[in-house]
Order: sequence, then structure tokens, then C-alpha cells
Amino acid sequence: MKQRTKIFNGFSFSLLLLLSALFLFPIYLVIINSFKSKFNIVGTPFEFPNEDTFVGIENYINGIQSSGIVGAFFRTLFVTVASVLAIVIFTSMTAWYITRVKSKFNKIVYYLFLFSMIVPFQMVMFTMTSVCINLGLNNVIGIIPVYLGFGSGLSVFMFSGFVKSLPKEIEEAAMIDGCSPLKTFFMVVFPMLKPTAITVAILNAMWIWNDFLLPYLLLGSTDKTLSVAIQLTMQGAYGSIDWGGFMAMLVLAIIPIIAFYLVCQKYIIKGVIDGAVKG
Amino acid sequence: MEKNMKKYFPIFLLPTLVSFVIVFFIPFVMGIYLSFTRFTTVENATWVGIENYIKAFTQDENFLNALWFTIKFTIVSVITINICAFLLALLLTRALKGTAFFRTVFFMPNLIGGIVLGYIWNLLINSILGIFGYDITYSADYGFWGLVFLLNWQLIGYMMVIYIASLQNIPSELNEAARIDGATPFSILRHITIPMVMPAVTICLFLTITNSFKLFDQNLALTGGAPARETSMLALDIFNTFYGRIGWQGVGQAKAVVFFIIVALISFIQLKITSRKEVEN
Amino acid sequence: MASISLKNIKKTYEDGVTVIEDLNLEIKDKEFVILVGPSGCGKSTTLRMIAGLEEITDGEMYIGDKLVNDVSPKNRDIAMVFQSYALYPHMNVYKNMAFGLKNRKVPKDIIDKKVHEAAKMLDIEQYLNRKPRALSGGQRQRVALGRAMVREPAVFLLDEPLSNLDAKLRTEMRSRISMLHKELQTTFVYVTHDQTEAMTMGDRIVVMKDGKIMQNDTPQMLYNHPQNMFVAGFIGSPQMNFIYCKIVRNTDGYYAQFENYNIKLPDRMNDALSLYTDKEVVLGIRPENIHLAKDTKKKSFEMYIDIAEMTGSDYYLYGKLGGKNIIANVPSNMQIKSDTTCSMLIDTDRLHIFDKVSENLICD
Repeated sequence: MKQRTKIFNGFSFSLLLLLSALFLFPIYLVIINSFKSKFNIVGTPFEFPNEDTFVGIENYINGIQSSGIVGAFFRTLFVTVASVLAIVIFTSMTAWYITRVKSKFNKIVYYLFLFSMIVPFQMVMFTMTSVCINLGLNNVIGIIPVYLGFGSGLSVFMFSGFVKSLPKEIEEAAMIDGCSPLKTFFMVVFPMLKPTAITVAILNAMWIWNDFLLPYLLLGSTDKTLSVAIQLTMQGAYGSIDWGGFMAMLVLAIIPIIAFYLVCQKYIIKGVIDGAVKG
Repeated sequence: MEKNMKKYFPIFLLPTLVSFVIVFFIPFVMGIYLSFTRFTTVENATWVGIENYIKAFTQDENFLNALWFTIKFTIVSVITINICAFLLALLLTRALKGTAFFRTVFFMPNLIGGIVLGYIWNLLINSILGIFGYDITYSADYGFWGLVFLLNWQLIGYMMVIYIASLQNIPSELNEAARIDGATPFSILRHITIPMVMPAVTICLFLTITNSFKLFDQNLALTGGAPARETSMLALDIFNTFYGRIGWQGVGQAKAVVFFIIVALISFIQLKITSRKEVEN
Repeated sequence: MASISLKNIKKTYEDGVTVIEDLNLEIKDKEFVILVGPSGCGKSTTLRMIAGLEEITDGEMYIGDKLVNDVSPKNRDIAMVFQSYALYPHMNVYKNMAFGLKNRKVPKDIIDKKVHEAAKMLDIEQYLNRKPRALSGGQRQRVALGRAMVREPAVFLLDEPLSNLDAKLRTEMRSRISMLHKELQTTFVYVTHDQTEAMTMGDRIVVMKDGKIMQNDTPQMLYNHPQNMFVAGFIGSPQMNFIYCKIVRNTDGYYAQFENYNIKLPDRMNDALSLYTDKEVVLGIRPENIHLAKDTKKKSFEMYIDIAEMTGSDYYLYGKLGGKNIIANVPSNMQIKSDTTCSMLIDTDRLHIFDKVSENLICD
């Protein structure tokens, strides 16, 4: 019995190792090619860079210069951070309000938020774009309330679920202790919501950082985000693509995410599980 | 307390609600209306009844093709992703060496955005097919399986962590009791493990169904619909109808409404099933 | 320091359920008043209306001379202790206690002094830097009391503050709260469902049922002269025995008759009972008013003992008087066995007679 378990474990371990290699292979492929001269990528993609093909960081320099990816990086960072902050603060306030103040209106609002979660983006894509352009929301500041609107469904839902589990007495104690509703929320309720706030922040950050269609429609090529910059580089090239520079762009787009993931892995995985179970 | 709070309505509710109404509610209502009109911008709509819906199904073979492609794709990826993810989760809950490392690796692709993912796989698949002198746009089959592999790569780790969480929630006394009762490892799996992770199975099934069904970024980056429009999925087909065919915006909106109804039906079924499960618990 | 006055208070919830129809209650300054009753009787709602946490549908509420119907909780000069303690989980004990003062812009050094004073009084000084989750139930309860104390409110409201504690701690905290009331010299309003707590702590007890006040009296009066069957049954443990019987008039006075027992009722009841001749009434006898008969006199009864429960100083005897279940409470200075028959004596001076329909007291 013991012998068999040992063999099985050894076999499983090797299998997992092999699978990990397979999982990492696509990323490995992009990285090695980002160091090869652009003429060698299409012909011999699997070869490790050698004396003839290695070009150092030339591709990175070209990629950065031609695509405006650095600007796109900081733009994406700004939009993501600002939108996530707006979502966490405003949707938690909304969730607390509509959970604690019982009225027909609030109930309807809550169900509308829930409903929005099942509507695919394509349903509102065209009309939303023209409404937002008319209102002047097609810039890096204007897109923040747009993300707040689209992020509110899941976020309100998750915060409401948590608020319902909080004892009301603590808030009543705060009111007796002299807090206004606003102070009660920020001094007492919000600190208790912290675990959910982290989950909500992570889920929304992952979505907004990677989002393509919404910034493509509202910000377009003038205020490119990372995903848009990559897509436009490819789309505008019509076959005459600088593969080396493009590989470098892909690597630059992946590195911050992986770094963020390795640092906050615990929270990310917990957030994703919570989001899946509740969403 | 409530009366006191009601005065704060503008601060607590309005920022979220106004954004929500502007970007979702109004566009949604407009979208329903516009699907019954002919328009090029939202201002010049003329009522045409259900003509757009008829056009979408009869005069535009792309739509039915996309629908069929999406359904096939969804079925294949849902099955492969969930089987792989569950098997990996079983392996990774056996207290082997390096579990944390493997979990980190398998989950990582999930964080990479759809566009980037699409181009990574574009490179990989074209590199492999290049050996034989083809590329991914050569046949719709290549695009189909390319998308299946891509989505597997992206979602297996995600589903795996949900299955792992669920497997770790099974009380170890249950396994011990079954072992004392003389159950074999296989019958423990069949009669204890699988029934206990059924809630996670429901969640994962619907997550993969909706993710596959609504796939857009990956589709755009990997194949862009090529060859011709044979590998366009529903979301991409709708996008192309809106922005690629002048005068067909109404049809695009009608397609979007149909798309919405299908997705809503799937979600509704999910809600029914999960709420029934909760009652049982 | 303040009195509280509730005039024709009505409470209807948003779903249309009226829990309190018309409540009138006066609470004097520095009094320790207990609201007691079964769950759903409206006692907590009443307390929460005093606190301002629950809106008043109709009627007038005064704290001191001030009409407070529309005054928010923070401006009522009250402090409240909740059953669940309601401590702020992310603040340590010190900050929990200081929070209310800080919100009222009290200078830092005064806050510090008050918090330390209160902490010392409650023996929680060594926990000031701990978060609530690192404290036991009893310690949390004391922090909750401390948080209310430092505010020096005019009215102290306590909503079942001891219900989440185990029996031993509860007894300890009971005396601690009574001491606190003595020291603080403030009005206390205390809600509980536990009649022992009510009897041991209050100057005055308000017994409530279905949103109505059944009796509002001192503990002694409630116990010795309950005004209706509800109060009689609710106060005292084990519960008062109720026996349905018929009033019969005989040459030497009135008798209560049931099965083949006849109990001579004291002459002081004659006037009240004249209206009830040959009618059914309810006889109330407290368990401790049924004694063991020293010698078998005429007036004694045979009681079959099903179970004799030894509690230490007393025996609870669960037995039958004819077909009726009866509990007697006798001193444990002699041994009594289950499944035996004892002869018992009823102390007729301590009988209560209630109307069968209205359940109100006829005489006692």
C-alpha cells in the first residue's frame, strides 16, 4: 500500500511538473522571442536566441518608442486605481444605505443592480458609447464614472451581502455615541467592511486593467490603454508588423500583472473565490 | 435611525446611482427601443418593427454561424476546462511537494488580459502551424481549437482554485469514516468527494459557460474572425455588425438583444439551481 | 439626571404590525426601572424608542422636561448597553470607550482621565489596548458598560445586557450593575426577560405582555400582590400553582372546592367573593406556601410525590393533588423520596384568587 502511494505520488509530481512547463511555455516563448531580431521570429520561433539572433533590448526600445506603451501603461494605471477607489467607496456607501434604509425604491434599485450583472456588454455597447460621448465622458477622467456604473452591479451585491451579516447594534451604538450617518459609515462601518472591500477592489482591478472594449470605444487611439495599444499596433500593421517590438510590448504588458500577482497572491485567490461563489 | 439616514440620500446613493443610470439603465432601455428601428446614430431612428430581428436570422448567415460556433465552442471548452481543473484540484489536495508553486503557476494565466492572451497564443499557434506551412487563418478548425486551448489555459487555474477550496471544505472525518467502512479510493471519490463538491461544480459550470459564451477580446486577438467570418463568436459578430456595416446598426442591436436574452436565460437557470441548492443545505 | 415620561405611546412598524397600542409610563429621576416580559412583549421596542433608535408612531416622550419625539439619539443625553455588546471591532478597548467623548469634542486629557477611571471601576484597565475579539464575554460586557459610563449620560439604557453571559458571570454582573447604579446616581432603564434579574435589581419593575403594561410595582408588591394571573405566573420560580375551583358558601364562610378537596378561605375575602358564589375561579398558590404537615390534622392533604428535586436548601416536589399537577417548595431539612405520599398544608393566608375569564385578581 505504502509503496503504491509512493509511486503514485512520484508519478503525480512528474505530471504536475510537466503541466507547469506547458503552462509556462507560451509566456516563455514570448519572452525569448522578445530578445530576437524581428526577422528571426517568424522563421524560427522556438529557437533560443543565439549569437546571430540576439538583439539585446533593441526590441524593447523600438516597442516603447513606436507604440506609446509607456504612456498607455501609466494611463491604464491611473484609470484602474481611480476607478477602483471610486467603486469601493461609492458602492460600499450605496450598499450600506440600501440595505439599512428599507424602502420600495431602494429595493428596486438593488434589483436593478443585480439585473445589470447578467446583461452582456454588447447589449448597451452602442447606446452607452453615444450617451457617454454626448456627456463628454470620453476621456481618462470621464471614464471613471463609467467604470463606477458598470462595476456597481457586482460590487453593490457583494457589499450588501456583507452588510446584511453585520449586527445593526454597532451602528446604533455609534449613533448614540454622537456620529452622523456619514461618520458612522466611515469610522465604524467601512472598517468592518474591509475584507469585502479588498475582494471588490481585486475583482474590479483585474477587470479594468485588462479591459479592452470600453476604453477602445470611449478613449480610442488618442488615450490608449494597454490593451488598446496592443490591439491597435496589430490592427494598424496590416501584416508589416515589427514582431520584435510587438513581443516586447506583450512582455511589458504581462510583467506588472505577474509582479502584482506574486505579491498579493493570497488576496487575489481569496478574492476570486469569494467573487465566484457570491457572483 | 432610518429617518436620520434618509437625509443623507444624495451622498450615499446618488454618485453610484447616477453613474449606473447613465451608463447602464438609459442605454439598456434605448437599446431595446433601437432594436426595433433603423438608425445610424441614436438620433435618427425610424421605427421598423421586427424587421431587424428577421434580417438578423435570415439575411445574415454570419449571425447563425456565430451562434452555432459559440454553442459548439462553449460545450467543448466547458467540458475540457472543468475536467482538467477538477483533476488538477484532486492532485493538488493530496499534500504533495510543491503544491503552492503549482497552484501559483496554473492560476497565473487567468490574470492576463484577453487581448494579450490572444496574441500570445497567436504567436504560439502560428509558430507550430508554421512548421507545416499553415497559419491560424487557414481553416476555421484551427481557430476553433486555438480558442479552446486558449480558454483552457486561461480558466483551468481559476476553476481549479474553486474546486480546491471546495475539496478542502470536506470534513476529513467523512473520508476517515468511509475508509473504516471499507470504501476503496474510487468509491470515496464517487460517493463522498463528488457529491460534496457539487455546489462548486455548479458554480464552475456556469462561470465557464458565461465566460465562453461572452468571449470577445480573445476572439478578436487570436483569429479576428478569420478565415472570412467563420470563427466569429456572437460578441464579435455583434461588434462587427455595429461598426463594420453601415446601415446595419439596427440589426446589430437586434442581435445584441437576442444575445442578452440567451445570456439572461443561462443566468436565470443558474440562479434557480443555486437557490434550490441553498434550500437543500 | 432626568426623569422619563411616556404618554400614550404607540408603535406601528412599517409592515403595519402594531406592537404597542397605548403605553403610559413614568420613570423618576435616579430610579432603576426594569422592563420585563416574554419575548415579543414590546419591552425592547419601548427601550429603543427611549433611545431614539425606533421612531414613535404616536404619543409623546419626554426626557426631563424636553419633548424628544424628534430628537436624534445623540442629542438625547442617553447611553445604551446592548445585548450583543456592539463594541467597535476595529478599535481597542480604550478607543471604544473614548469614541463617544471624542465625537463630542471633549478635550483629550479629560477623555483620558474618564476612561481610566471607568476602566478602574470595572477592572478592565489591563485590557485597554486589546481589541474586543481578544476579550471574554464578561470582559466585553464590562467594556460596553464602561463605554456608557464615561459619557455620564442622564439616562442609562440597558437591553438584556447579561443574556449572553454564563450563569455564574451573570450573578456577578448583576450585583456589579446594581453597585454601578448606586455610585452613578443616574436613571437606569433595564430590559430583561429573566424574572430573577428583574426581582434582584430593580427599584421598580414594569411587567409587560403584548405591548401592554400588566403591572408596574416594586418587587415586593409584584411578588406578594400580583394583579393578574400573568404577573403571578411570570414572577417567581418555580411558578405559582393555578387550580381551577368553585367558590361555595358555607355557614362558616367561603370554600374553594375542587374534586373532593375543600379549602376554607380566609374571612377577609368574604366581601370580594360574594359575587362569585357557585362560580368557577382560579386559585393561585405559590410553591413555598404549600408546607409539609407536621402532624396529620384535618386541614392537611395527601399529595403523591412524582419527583423530589433536591436543590440544596430546598426540595421542589412535583406531585399530584387529585388529578392536578402541583409544585411545592419545602426546606430540605428532612429527606423526601420520589414516589411517596406526603401530607401537605396550604397556607390559606397567602392565597390569590383570580377571575377565570379576565384573569384579574379578585382578592388575596
